[in-house]
Amino acid sequence: MKSCKFLSAMLLCAALGGWFRASAADKAEGDATVRPVNSSWMVEAGTSHLVDTYLSPLKYAGWHGGITYTRLQAMKLDPAGWVQRMEVEADADKAKNPAGNASLLRVKLASHWGMTRRWRLPHGLTLGAGAAAGVDVGAFYSSRNGNNPVAAKASASLSATAMATWATRVWRVPLMVGWESAMPLTGVFFSPAYDELYYEIYLGNRSGLLHPAWPGNFFRWHNRLTADIDCGSATRLRLGLGSELFSSKVNSITTRATTWSLIVGVTSDWISLSPRKAAPVAAPRIVYAY
Amino acid sequence: MKQIHFALRSVAIAAALLATLCGCHEVEEYANDPRGNFEQLWTILDEHYCFFEQKDVDWNEVHTRYSAMISDRMTPEELFGVCAAMLNELRDGHTNLSAPFNTSYYRKWWTDYPQNYDKRLVEQYYLNYNFRTTGGITYAVLPQNVGYMHYSSFSYNIGEGNLDAVLAYFATCSGLIIDVRDNGGGSLTNVETLVARFTPEEMLAGSICHKTGPGHNDFSEPYKYYYSPVAAPYLRWRKPVVVLCNRSTFSAANNFVSVMQFVPGVTIVGTTTGGGSGMPFSAELPNGWGVRFSASPVRDQAGHLTEFGVEPSEGCTVNMDPKAAYVDHRDTMLDFAVNRLAGIN
Repeated sequence: MKSCKFLSAMLLCAALGGWFRASAADKAEGDATVRPVNSSWMVEAGTSHLVDTYLSPLKYAGWHGGITYTRLQAMKLDPAGWVQRMEVEADADKAKNPAGNASLLRVKLASHWGMTRRWRLPHGLTLGAGAAAGVDVGAFYSSRNGNNPVAAKASASLSATAMATWATRVWRVPLMVGWESAMPLTGVFFSPAYDELYYEIYLGNRSGLLHPAWPGNFFRWHNRLTADIDCGSATRLRLGLGSELFSSKVNSITTRATTWSLIVGVTSDWISLSPRKAAPVAAPRIVYAY
Repeated sequence: MKQIHFALRSVAIAAALLATLCGCHEVEEYANDPRGNFEQLWTILDEHYCFFEQKDVDWNEVHTRYSAMISDRMTPEELFGVCAAMLNELRDGHTNLSAPFNTSYYRKWWTDYPQNYDKRLVEQYYLNYNFRTTGGITYAVLPQNVGYMHYSSFSYNIGEGNLDAVLAYFATCSGLIIDVRDNGGGSLTNVETLVARFTPEEMLAGSICHKTGPGHNDFSEPYKYYYSPVAAPYLRWRKPVVVLCNRSTFSAANNFVSVMQFVPGVTIVGTTTGGGSGMPFSAELPNGWGVRFSASPVRDQAGHLTEFGVEPSEGCTVNMDPKAAYVDHRDTMLDFAVNRLAGIN
């Protein structure tokens, strides 16, 4: 826990450091900086392996699907150094038990916002690291259980994030290869007690439902490897691979969800102009999110 | 650049370490063979069942005895027979094993007792087949100007409109009999809906606790829960009530009786109820069979565990006399309840 707090503090300090440096940079750059927004819509489909011992001791296997929207933009405080990132994700999984006679359904909604410090390297490489805060809500539903058919899931977490991009060309076609990764380091998450029925919670016993999270009891590692293919227009085709490894254990209840998926999406850069503000002066400095 | 390389290397090592150390909270797996399925079943009960102490069951001894009966060559039906017999050691009507070809069920909690209820007898000789039905409730006014309602299962949802109709129909009656004989239970929310018509003020309904871990004695502190009277404009019943019950009054119906016994003006008539005060949980075995078992004990207002049933009010224990029933067409339990409301006994 101490190490998590230390790491969280470090991330916060790094963010604040960037902000202070940015104040000076902003004055120098004035309003001439245009910060295009990079937005992406992605759908993903793949495999899912689920366990939730509140519902069943068995491991379920099936399919995974999801849709994700991401929005990246260089931050005003230090456009060259910091990128803000927002991600909203909706996932659904359906899996069968080993005998194939029962289903487990998982749904999840997630929303995260974070800041990434980036470093531009030679050969079109960019590396980034940062932090994100987010909320995840969802549930596991077992089709065969009577009094314990649902295991609700909810968490608020602070994650460490990392990213890397490589701008290159394949047969003269511009290509952007990207990798994004996120792992919660601390936060809180919801769980009933070992055999506590939701009926007891309904009756009013709401003590002990929130638990402090750290990677030892609440582990999630989300990865996305993508390739953005320039199709000659403002919108690029995105293909990729995604994975999420999730495992939590609290009150002797173990929950695991492992998904691997193929990603197809579109991504584009656009400029947001406010009608209440003047347009950028001539020859503005443009700082992209990537 | 060196700093960046160092930072990247550190992040990669830390991530790999975290993934290795934390990423896999192990879940014990059992093989899908007779031995594996037996062990999974025994372990589920060992870690989740809540009445070992009250029923004086040595689960390890049970394992020793039944494990010797498991063979890799046994058929699914043979395995089912051994597993079902093992579950019957718990003497629990809420504990079942479900396979595609059968569901085990411990029946002795009611088969060892008189039936004490004959639906045809009541409907033919007391109600003359002239009764109303709503929301799972059969109701009519008896000749003694006593309201009679039989609620056959708490699985039937009762709406406030249903209860208003029933109680309005009984408005001129001098008392009310709520017959929950042969009511095998259902949803506890229906218990709350029904009790709310009879309690004059917020009442302590009972307490519930749950297991906090796999140990046999890992239990939470009992959590007290309360029922409130139904809010206006819905009707409340303030006249005398008799709750009529038998051994087949089980689970949620048992809970209903355990709550109603503390409501002012209510008398419990009949025989000790069937119990079933452990809220059941479900799990499953590698071969796909389902298992249900008691996991969360519910106690009454006085803190008594009602797993073994709720006794009638003092002096109100009465069985159905078979001769009176099948020769004279009299339900002696119902007669007792009517007389009780009439002040005869």
